[in-house]
Amino acid sequence: MLTINNLVKHRGNQEILSGISFKARPGRVTGFLGPNGAGKSSTLRILLGLDRATSGSALINGKPFAELHNPLATVGAALDGFGAHRMRTGRAHLRWIARAAGLSRSRVEEVLEIVGLTNAAGKRVGNYSLGMGRRLGIAAALLGDPKILVLDEPVNGLDPEGIRWIRTFLRERAQSGNTVLLSSHLMGELAETVDDVVIIKHGKIVADGTLEEVTGNHHTLEDAFFALTSEHTGDVV
Amino acid sequence: MSVPSSRKITQILRAELDKLVTLPLTWLTLIVTFILNLLLAAAFTSAGLQGAAGTQSILKIGLASMGYLQAGFIILGILATCSEYTGGQIRTTLTTVPWRGLQLSTKYLALAIITIPAAFIIAASGVLYAFIRMRDTAVVIEIDTMIKTLVGATGYLTLTTLLSAAIGALLRRTTPAIVVLLSYYFIVSPLSRDFLPSIKNYFPDTAGYYMYMPPSSDEINVLTPMQGTGISMLWTLIFITVAIVFYRKRDA
Amino acid sequence: MRAFNAELSKLFSLPGIWLAFLIGAFAPVFIASMDSIAQKEEIIAGVSTRLPEVGYIGLALGVQGVIILGVLAVSSEYLAESSESGGGQQITTSLTVVSSRLHFLLAKAGAVTVISILLSVVAIITTLSATHLVLGEYTPAFDWLKLIGAVLYWTFTALLAFGITVLTKNGIIPLAVLIINTSVVSFSFLLSKVTKLALYLPDRAGAEMFMFTSDRFLTPFTGGLVMFAWVVVLFIAAAIVFHRRDVAS
Repeated sequence: MLTINNLVKHRGNQEILSGISFKARPGRVTGFLGPNGAGKSSTLRILLGLDRATSGSALINGKPFAELHNPLATVGAALDGFGAHRMRTGRAHLRWIARAAGLSRSRVEEVLEIVGLTNAAGKRVGNYSLGMGRRLGIAAALLGDPKILVLDEPVNGLDPEGIRWIRTFLRERAQSGNTVLLSSHLMGELAETVDDVVIIKHGKIVADGTLEEVTGNHHTLEDAFFALTSEHTGDVV
Repeated sequence: MSVPSSRKITQILRAELDKLVTLPLTWLTLIVTFILNLLLAAAFTSAGLQGAAGTQSILKIGLASMGYLQAGFIILGILATCSEYTGGQIRTTLTTVPWRGLQLSTKYLALAIITIPAAFIIAASGVLYAFIRMRDTAVVIEIDTMIKTLVGATGYLTLTTLLSAAIGALLRRTTPAIVVLLSYYFIVSPLSRDFLPSIKNYFPDTAGYYMYMPPSSDEINVLTPMQGTGISMLWTLIFITVAIVFYRKRDA
Repeated sequence: MRAFNAELSKLFSLPGIWLAFLIGAFAPVFIASMDSIAQKEEIIAGVSTRLPEVGYIGLALGVQGVIILGVLAVSSEYLAESSESGGGQQITTSLTVVSSRLHFLLAKAGAVTVISILLSVVAIITTLSATHLVLGEYTPAFDWLKLIGAVLYWTFTALLAFGITVLTKNGIIPLAVLIINTSVVSFSFLLSKVTKLALYLPDRAGAEMFMFTSDRFLTPFTGGLVMFAWVVVLFIAAAIVFHRRDVAS
């Protein structure tokens, strides 16, 4: 269970997040949507303890990230970018993570197999394509076999096969009682994967509910998204 | 904040060691430093052999390249901390090990574990080279003086590496860190020795100099090796502490 | 010309470039003033042995600023040290905008040259005024030829840094080598004790253009020529390597 409670973040004079609250529940895939620069990544970074909130809280099973006893086995996170040094090999990258969390080397080979990177594991990360980089990020997130997954734009750069794979994979994770939170701006893709939807715009939540609730009278999730986030809409929530 | 067990600390330390060892730049830096140091030692030895024969101290000539040698270790220290910020690795690090103070401290420890043997081997190789080339002409040196000096040199290089790593962690970008540190060690510090002779012994590099240089009688207000070590260590600790404080407060 | 303007705007939008400006414009003044203050008594008493060097020492060390400039101009194209970028290198964009690699390299070198000249002129003006301020009537006369020599020394050094970085693609090595080499005890100074050939190394030869060394080996003019030859050779090597190399490798 992820609980975001009245989160505010200032950077300089700018207000990035102005008091957002939502929950991501076990057994469900929660989609976190918003236009570029709406505050999606900032929220996830605060949730993962990378950035500090100005006020409010982002809790994982009721605790801030830094107080988790075994973070890698609790939350698996893949943020934007590769998250790995360009000159290391993919396998070496996963191995030091496994080492830090006290996991075995065979687990590294397992996750490489799951994400389909076994053949490229000996290559330097700098030579990876965007899609391979995403797969490496997801592999790192899965290392500790966590109950909670937090993924920022997971399908970004993946090929169609990879997109289908991650869709079924996330559905399976949720069905076996895990919590999945993913941010995206690909509506069509998201509509096929998520159960709940949270839409953020200019640091404020503009919609929060199940996929059906948020879609409402609109034809598709995409229509609902544009109705909620375009500049000319009136007072919707 | 929960306190991780000692088993966890060992795991984190081994992960930090893994990170350093699997980084090709670490090895490249050390190997290049080793080779350049031997070349410099050769140059200094040739120059020394041409000079007044018989009165040359092997230690002094073997360690004459220390001034350049430290550049390799400065780069090593910077690479160790700044490499976290390449490709966004820092996010992976902090989602794996969210205890920031502990994480950075173990990084320094891991760095020291790698630096100490490397520094000793590299410093000793220079002295050994000078010894082989000069054993006929130079005055005999006692083995315990040699070991004491080499230990001092190793300590100095290790402290310099850690200090550089702390500056690297503060600046987070390789280029400014290299510019700042190299221009301090190679331009500002030699100049300030002329301009500010009264306090020159209290800078990290000049104080550290006394850790390995055999005492000479013609200099006034010299420090003992222990005083030099103390001052040098104090600087390193101050910078490490500042780096850790910032690291904990800052958005990653 | 458009490529040149583009290179200028690329350089000015780099955050690291301000470090280069800061060092290039202020370090010489600072060092020259400190040096003048330290020597003032001796100069007034007329016993200073280093009188003709006053001021120039700052210019010799402030060259670091343009070293940073030359290195950054190239390494910024290859470096992706931001936490958000997914490994993108600017060089791919640059070469799709300016398709001729030689033009690209020339435009970049041109931008580096122009900024180095400007920076060295600023440094000379501030250094001269600071020396005057400290020493007053005892200030030694500055020789125009030598000042032009200093401008050339700065520009050539920036271009050397530029050429080396094209070859290494990585800023660490050229920065380390060149910064250490501007120090008081440079590699080339050390080498010159072993072999006289080291006096033909670019920094030693170039320094003859404006520094007073006790054991003068080359005339200022030949010194400048030797340094220029180094720049040309390095630039040709850089152009060949850059032309042949795959961008992504």
